[in-house]
Amino acid sequence: MSVIVRRVVARLRTMEKGTSDGRWESGGRDEIAEVIQIVGIAELKVSNAPSDVLATYALGSCLGITAYDPALKAGGMAHCLLPLSHLDPVRAENCPALFTDTGVSALIQAMLNLGACRDRLVVKVAGGASPLNDAGVFRTGARNYVVMRKLLWKNGLLIAAEDVGGAMARSMRFSLATGAVHVTTGGREVAL
Amino acid sequence: MSRRKQILDRVFALPALPEAMTRVMRLLDCPEVDAGEIARAIECDPGMTSNLLRLANSAYFGGPRQIGSVREAFVRLGSKRTFHLIVSSVFAPMARRPVAGYDLPACALLRHSLATAIACEELAKALAMPVPDNVFTAGLLHDIGKIVLGTFVQADGAAIQQLAFQERTPFQEAESRVLGIDHAEVGAELLCAWNLPEGIVDAVRWHHDPDRSAAPSHMIDLVHAANLLTLMWGVGSGADGLNYLGSAEAARRLRLTPELSEHALNKALEAFLGVESLFVASAGEE
Repeated sequence: MSVIVRRVVARLRTMEKGTSDGRWESGGRDEIAEVIQIVGIAELKVSNAPSDVLATYALGSCLGITAYDPALKAGGMAHCLLPLSHLDPVRAENCPALFTDTGVSALIQAMLNLGACRDRLVVKVAGGASPLNDAGVFRTGARNYVVMRKLLWKNGLLIAAEDVGGAMARSMRFSLATGAVHVTTGGREVAL
Repeated sequence: MSRRKQILDRVFALPALPEAMTRVMRLLDCPEVDAGEIARAIECDPGMTSNLLRLANSAYFGGPRQIGSVREAFVRLGSKRTFHLIVSSVFAPMARRPVAGYDLPACALLRHSLATAIACEELAKALAMPVPDNVFTAGLLHDIGKIVLGTFVQADGAAIQQLAFQERTPFQEAESRVLGIDHAEVGAELLCAWNLPEGIVDAVRWHHDPDRSAAPSHMIDLVHAANLLTLMWGVGSGADGLNYLGSAEAARRLRLTPELSEHALNKALEAFLGVESLFVASAGEE
């Protein structure tokens, strides 16, 4: 397992070479042993270990939502599938990140429990894709996005950066050492 | 020779289904079949036997009581469920390989296919309609054409993706324009050559374009909608992403609403998590 993680880290570093901040180019920082924590569908993870990289794959209509407190170098990520928890309140209790409304609240609460300060939280978002046309039945991605905006607004939080909509599946990677969020779409990676 | 002809020749040159399996499928199709005869036909193939028992003992397919023999599995599950599980055990090893042209890593196509099969059944339940007999199998096999095209699409993958994403062309239409055929038709031709029931072949052929079918059916519409729901959910997504059209007509025929589709998605995810490891990790490994 550790071999796999090291390989992944090596690959990510190669991809990051030549990025504008060039942080892996600078001497000793190359030695940080990153630990990839996979956030599965309907999961929520928070951490204050700077070596952690939270990653989620295959965001279709789902939203990947990250929150970061730069002062603590603590962050969290939720991978939410469906907009509203009233669909299945029992499951929402056990698995709040399944739904965007309970997922956003649970993410913020989990960050506060780690000692994060609400005013410092930097929120970034990816996903929320939909099929090409506007057949309303299949617009769960757009509905997820609307619910998330509303919940963030209620909590006094703004979105610092986002890569949402369109018809592409995305993957998301969030480094707690730097707070950098990268989104991969069709093999191309961009920093949020 | 045109690209389309080349691809179809390749489809028809693929190996037929194992003899033991076609025999079992033929027997399952007889209304008056004897359970002992079915059991003997399945037991000729140790791999099929162990896979059937493993799946029959899962909560989703079987139930709480332990099933110990093939005969018992058949009696308890009935011929339709047995048919689904036999097809699954043949399909799983094929779909576990990576599919290069679609950027699908190992097991991704299998996970997407299984999720779609389950979503088909959950959609029918959410819509309070009888679950069509073979909709699970149709959902499971709907993308089998991608396995065949994988090798071809790999070469032209860049051209297809460029057409799809830069011109916002539905992915299967981009395939047609570059290759002369799309993965839905390739899959249908393969299943037709394998003598699978017509309803399954039609649902696979029209799963991206249900309105073009000469004989629209709930089965086609369910596979169409379930496939989109599964792509939205993201399980086993590839390079094509959500680059498809959703048919408003199919949604209307099914009387599908956003609430019902999200309800089905929630149920499907729960059921999928219960059986995923059976298929992805072990089924078909002998």
